[in-house]
Amino acid sequence: MIMENNESNMVTIHVMGKSHEVPGDLTIMKAMEYAGHQFRRGSGCRGGYCGACATIYRTKGSYKLLGALACQKMVEDDMYIAQIPFSPAEKKSYDINDLRADANAFMVHYPEISRCLSCNTCTKACPQDIMVMDYVQAALRGDVSEAAKLSFDCISCGLCAIRCPAEIVPYNIAQLARRLYSKYVDGPAEHVLEKLKEVEEGKFDAEIAELQSLDREALKERYETREKRL
Amino acid sequence: MSGYPESMQESLRLVEKTRPNRVGKALPEMTADEKEKILQDWHPDFKSDQKRALKIGPSKGMLVPHEVADNLEAHTIIKPGDIDLSNIDYDVDVLIIGAGGAGLSAAFLAQENGIPTEKILMVQKLRLGDANSKMSQGGIQAAVAPDDNPAIHYLDVIGGGHYENKPELAELLVREGPNVIRWHEELGVMYDKLEDGTMQLAPGGGTSRKRMLSCKDYTGLEITRVLIDEFLSREIPFVELTSAVEFIMDDKGQVAGAVLYDMDHDEYLICRAKVTVLATGGFGRLHIQGFETTNHYGSTNDGVVMAYHAGANLRDLDSTQFHPTGAAFPEQIVGQLCTEKLRARGAQPLNIDGELFVYPLETRDVEASALIRECYGREKGIVTPTGMRGIWLDTPLIEVINGEGTIEREFASMLRNFNKFGIDIRKEPMLVFPTLHYQNGGVEINARCETNIPGLFAAGEVTGGVHGKNRLMGNSQLELYVFGRRAGVFAAEHAKNVELGELTLSHLDQYEKWLDETGIETDRKAPILLPEYRGKKTLKHQIKLL
Amino acid sequence: MRLPYYPGCTLKTDAQNFETSTLEAAKTLDIELVELPRWNCCGTVHALAKDDVIHYLAPIRNLIRVDEMIANGEIEDGKLVTQCVMCWNTIKRANTAALEDPDKMEKIRGIMEKEPEYSGKVEVLHFLELLKEKGWETITGAVKLPLEGLKVAPYYGCLLLRPREFALDDPDNPRIIEDLLEALGAEVVDLAYKSKCCGAYHAVHMKEVSAELSHKILSQANEMGADMVVTACPLCEFNLGKRQHEIKKLHPEFSSIPVVYYTQLMALAFGLNEEATAFEENTPDPRPLLAEKGLIMER
Repeated sequence: MIMENNESNMVTIHVMGKSHEVPGDLTIMKAMEYAGHQFRRGSGCRGGYCGACATIYRTKGSYKLLGALACQKMVEDDMYIAQIPFSPAEKKSYDINDLRADANAFMVHYPEISRCLSCNTCTKACPQDIMVMDYVQAALRGDVSEAAKLSFDCISCGLCAIRCPAEIVPYNIAQLARRLYSKYVDGPAEHVLEKLKEVEEGKFDAEIAELQSLDREALKERYETREKRL
Repeated sequence: MSGYPESMQESLRLVEKTRPNRVGKALPEMTADEKEKILQDWHPDFKSDQKRALKIGPSKGMLVPHEVADNLEAHTIIKPGDIDLSNIDYDVDVLIIGAGGAGLSAAFLAQENGIPTEKILMVQKLRLGDANSKMSQGGIQAAVAPDDNPAIHYLDVIGGGHYENKPELAELLVREGPNVIRWHEELGVMYDKLEDGTMQLAPGGGTSRKRMLSCKDYTGLEITRVLIDEFLSREIPFVELTSAVEFIMDDKGQVAGAVLYDMDHDEYLICRAKVTVLATGGFGRLHIQGFETTNHYGSTNDGVVMAYHAGANLRDLDSTQFHPTGAAFPEQIVGQLCTEKLRARGAQPLNIDGELFVYPLETRDVEASALIRECYGREKGIVTPTGMRGIWLDTPLIEVINGEGTIEREFASMLRNFNKFGIDIRKEPMLVFPTLHYQNGGVEINARCETNIPGLFAAGEVTGGVHGKNRLMGNSQLELYVFGRRAGVFAAEHAKNVELGELTLSHLDQYEKWLDETGIETDRKAPILLPEYRGKKTLKHQIKLL
Repeated sequence: MRLPYYPGCTLKTDAQNFETSTLEAAKTLDIELVELPRWNCCGTVHALAKDDVIHYLAPIRNLIRVDEMIANGEIEDGKLVTQCVMCWNTIKRANTAALEDPDKMEKIRGIMEKEPEYSGKVEVLHFLELLKEKGWETITGAVKLPLEGLKVAPYYGCLLLRPREFALDDPDNPRIIEDLLEALGAEVVDLAYKSKCCGAYHAVHMKEVSAELSHKILSQANEMGADMVVTACPLCEFNLGKRQHEIKKLHPEFSSIPVVYYTQLMALAFGLNEEATAFEENTPDPRPLLAEKGLIMER
């Protein structure tokens, strides 16, 4: 059921300077493969979840440098393409248990955050359409909830960090914000801990043991007639 | 503006027309007999010509898909004579192969159970977190609701798995559920909550309770990235773009590390390890029966191949999970996952006439079979311009039922991924067809995550037994952390009492001998490490000069 | 005579005759002009370097947010109220500069690209201006606890009054905080130093500079018999209030005096609770003094 490529609409792309004729209805990733490239770096989940295929490109006649995920972006005629499969950045080591959900957590680990010029280049670079600058600003003023929620769809592809003139690594800040939010602002769900306590006290052991003692037919009977509460 | 071509518009109009009458309606769940029949007739697993019995190895005689058999009945990619085992690059207590959810969890627990940080090594074929773990969308199951408990979860797992699960593994899966969620929340995973601070819970195919916890539709991404952040903070040693390609054994028959392959430099490295944890994930990129897949680029069955070369027992590999709803249009994203949570929140599968034809939350094998039957048995599928057949998944219903804004809030990734191709799933349905999703079987383990080979532990999708012949939604995410953590604990314990002997790769010679004796003549080699998607012209002209 | 010489790009392109004649004339006068090695652009064509447009993006974007609120029907008036004097000063100046200089606004738009365009219709107000607009009698009408007997010295600092064209009151003789305090029933103590520098960011690297400047201001307040100083600026509050221990180090005889925000006195006079007045966050603690004056309960 793997599709044959539709070769009726060919376009030209230029991958790191080398030109290729490829079907126009392919993503950048599939077009590069069609052209003969076997990815080692630069290909991951192929579904927009992992950020391995961060790509920068220009189109003919435009000075604009654009960013995209190769697995999500369709080729265009005369697209000049390079991949950024790795974004150099230092992720600080911290014990989440030692931190507090405030601006200080960011200032201590990523003091460069205060260099933000609000130029919004990061937001424009984001292939997930995340308001990156807004969450950096939220973190800077200690609004951990806002930073966590705004950044939730981040896949750490690194394009924001590559483009930031203040050399901030927004996705690291976002990651810290989300952990702080979950742990300290939102807090654990009590009913999970209550259920865990019941499990540890062995409350369901007998029931599981009883199920395990049944033969296949009896188990099947039990399964087919089980109560559903949906 | 519709995101679909003219040829599909008539059917779309029928979907819109029937929508008001379908709100709150569902066909009844199939009876046990009906389920059995539809699986027999339509599930790809039951096509007898698509499988064959393994001719060699410890699980000789076991039926597996041809693609898996091809992978196992293949030459090794390295020859013992080419490898110098005396020059050891990494000498560690615990080697973890694979940096998805299971591998990362194992690393933490090994560290917490007395293995010095510098004596742990994580190797990963691609990057940290490059795994199917990250791609899970809809959720993770755990019996945490007041009206739920592990025993109820257990019955769902066993019935869903057609009673073929290994009971002690299924029990651990469900029993550890609440503990895994506690652990995640302590680490700072952002689960979806209701106003009152309780978990937002959804049903899944084959669940008898609302048991699906989620992080929007980026559940795997959120959990994995928190684990990676923690992993990096703990400064556990790791090497990316470095794949294990064969286990190293010792003269006592123990697994004693692995030969690694640096993907950047095309050179091999030797890692000696007292214990090895295999957490390499599944085989989606083998494209069983030619199906498109939801899987990660690296899902090429390497772990099963290596373990089989070393003598590991396999189980349930005859059974493959086809997710009922992979994208069938547009062409660019065919095969990509459309989460089961869409159906859990009200989206209905519809045929070309805009009619219901199946209960939306059957177990995945049954649901997938019903979609295939509708397209190829009843000829009621919707045909795309490239000739693919699909079924509508009526997503606009989600907003009719749960209110405007629900899709943007809960299905950000689905909305985004279809929007990029001009389809607004709030206004138009998705077109879907079953897609290769998960290997139900794999390397056999016991409750301590031990394989039958001393020194080799395994966890996650690479293993078999937890899910029997069919896995329920959200149980693979849970499996990763339950068994990844256990593998870490027991690997650490084991490492303290191991004396390694002389290192050897003689098992590879043995394997070659079996191939020879059985008369298997092939130029196939395995593990394959990466799938082959290069264009025909390139492959025809390929030479290797450097 | 041998001198380094910077030709610049125009003399190398469109005005080569200018360079040739220059060099020849110089030679005649026995001046040897040596072209500067590795010279780069003098900087004049770099729009960003010249007019610093990049620094206008942040304030202008905030004004765009006001436009959006109007478009969404969330508010009617195109006014943005600020409190921190630094924010007020920055946003107001950016707003004015953008409105008065269409070229600059065009450059800002160019850099902001796909972001919405600023309407240019937002008015930036300091909270004090808003109070004045409301009318002092309205303020007095809201007072439940007149601050009778409390002698308060207003301190303006720099940013409310500088630069002159942006001052929110007469830069030489401001009255706005005085009017407010009188509306609250307090007694105003007029400081000659009320708009002198508090030391501002010297507090970071040259603590003693700030301490000396603050000392002058506070000593005058003490000499004039003030009970406390009010300010509208967080940095002034920091230097004058929270850093009094630094002043003590240099001037052991200095006696400390509370420094509060004018809004805290509003909250007090309006009869609001302790959460609203939030005096516990001030250093030195103004509460003993206020209790002594009978304005808050003894603790």
